[in-house]
Amino acid sequence: MAKIRVEHLDFYYGSTLALSDISMDVQDRQITALIGPSGCGKSTFLRCLNRMNDTIPGVRMEGQVLLDGQDIYTSGTDVVDLRRRVGMVFQRPNPFPQSIFDNVAFGPLVLGMHKRKNLIDLVEKSLRGAALWDEVKDNLKQEALGLSLGQQQRLCIARTIAVEPEIILMDEPCSALDPIATLEIEELMNRLKENYCIVIVTHNMQQAARVSDRTGFFWLGKLVEFNDTQVIFTRPGQQLTEDYITGRAG
Amino acid sequence: MVRETFDRELQRLQDETLVLGSMVENAIIDSVEILKRRDMVGSRRLIAQDRDINAKRFSIEADVLILIATQQPMASDLRTLAAILDIASELERIGDYAKGIAKINLLIGEGPLMKPLIDVPRMAEKARDMLHRALEAFAQGDTDLAWAIPTEDDEVDSLYDQVYRELITYILADPRVIEQANYLLWVAHNLERAADRVTNICERVVFTVTGEVLEMDVESA
Repeated sequence: MAKIRVEHLDFYYGSTLALSDISMDVQDRQITALIGPSGCGKSTFLRCLNRMNDTIPGVRMEGQVLLDGQDIYTSGTDVVDLRRRVGMVFQRPNPFPQSIFDNVAFGPLVLGMHKRKNLIDLVEKSLRGAALWDEVKDNLKQEALGLSLGQQQRLCIARTIAVEPEIILMDEPCSALDPIATLEIEELMNRLKENYCIVIVTHNMQQAARVSDRTGFFWLGKLVEFNDTQVIFTRPGQQLTEDYITGRAG
Repeated sequence: MVRETFDRELQRLQDETLVLGSMVENAIIDSVEILKRRDMVGSRRLIAQDRDINAKRFSIEADVLILIATQQPMASDLRTLAAILDIASELERIGDYAKGIAKINLLIGEGPLMKPLIDVPRMAEKARDMLHRALEAFAQGDTDLAWAIPTEDDEVDSLYDQVYRELITYILADPRVIEQANYLLWVAHNLERAADRVTNICERVVFTVTGEVLEMDVESA
C-alpha cells in the first residue's frame, strides 16, 4: 500500500482552480520530488498532504488524500496529530528564538510525548538524526538563531523528527542555503529516507535528479508526468516534460 | 526558453563527430588504395594522420565532458552527448583499423602483391558506405536508416569468407606465399571489424532517439 495516495484532487483558491485532477501514490522510505515552474501548484499540493492549506481562507479541495489508507480530510481527523505525523520543513529556516535544546524539545514537551528527564536522550537522538549533534553538542544552550543557515535548517529537521513523524515534507529546503550546506542537507535526506517518507518541492532540477527516487512534474496545476527519477531525467514520456527539463519550456 | 549557448555547442559537437567520421571514411578507402598502389610513402603518411584522428576524438570527448559538467543536460540532450562519446570512440577504432592496413602495407614491403586485390577493395567501399550512412542517420536522428544498415554487414562477412577461401587456395598451391597471405587476411579482417563497429554506431543512433539500448544483430534488426 502506498504511504500516501492522492486521488483526483482538485484544489481551489476561491474560484480559481489551482490543482486539477491530481492522482499520485507516494511510497514509504523513498524521496519523491515535485518539480515544475513557479506557480504550477507544487507547493499548494505539498500543503494538501498535511492540511496546511486549511489555514488559508477561501480554499476548497475535492478528491481524497489517504494516509495509510485513511482519508485525512474526514471531519474526525485530528489535524494536530496529522501535522505531527506529517512534518514540514520550510524554505527559509525558522528555528524558534530559543536555545538549540529547547527548539528540539519543544514539540515532544507540548505533545506530552516525553517526561523532561527523558528529553536529553531524545534531543541527542534527534540532533544526530539531523547530522547536527557533533557540531552543537558542547553548547546546546546557545541561541538557535546564532547558528549558520545550514545548521538552522538541520535544526529544523531535528525539531521535525523529534516528534516522531512518518512523513517529512520539504518545501524548497535548500533555496536559502549555500552550495555546501545544500549538499549537506541532500546527504541528510539520503539518510533520513531509510526511516521516513520524504516529499520535496524543488526548483532545482539537478537536486531533484540527485536526491529523489520518484519525480512528479507539475505544469499549470496538472501532474503531467510521474515516474522513476532516472526515467524522468533520461527518457521522459511526455514532450512537455522533455521541454521543461531540457530548459526549453517554463 | 531556448538554450542558445547549449544548443550551439551541442550542434558543434555533432558536427565535429561528422568531421571525425569523414576523416575515418577517407582513411579506410585510402588504406586499401595505398596497398593496391604499393605506396610506402602513402602508408607512412596515413599512419601519421591517425594521430589527427586520435586528437579529434579526444578533443570531442573533452568538450562533451565540459558540456555535461557545466550545462547539466538531461533526457535527449544527455543521450546525444553519451552517443557522441561512444561514436567518437568507435570511429577512432575504425581509424586504427585503417592505420593497421597501412602498417601491413609496409610489412609486405615493395613489389607486387601475390594476387590482384578485388574483394578487399569491395569490402572497404562497402564498409565506408555503411559508415557514411550511419553518420547520416546520426545527423538526422533517422532510426529507420539506423536499423537498415546492420543487415548489410552480411555482405561484408561474405566477402571476408571469399577472401579467406581464396587465400587458402593460394597457400595450398604455394606455401611460400603464406606470410603475405596472412597479412592480406589481416587486411580483410580489419575491414570486417570496421563494418561491425558501424553496427555499434547504429545502435547508438537508436538510443539517442528512443532511449533504448537494443542489440542490432541480424535476428533483431
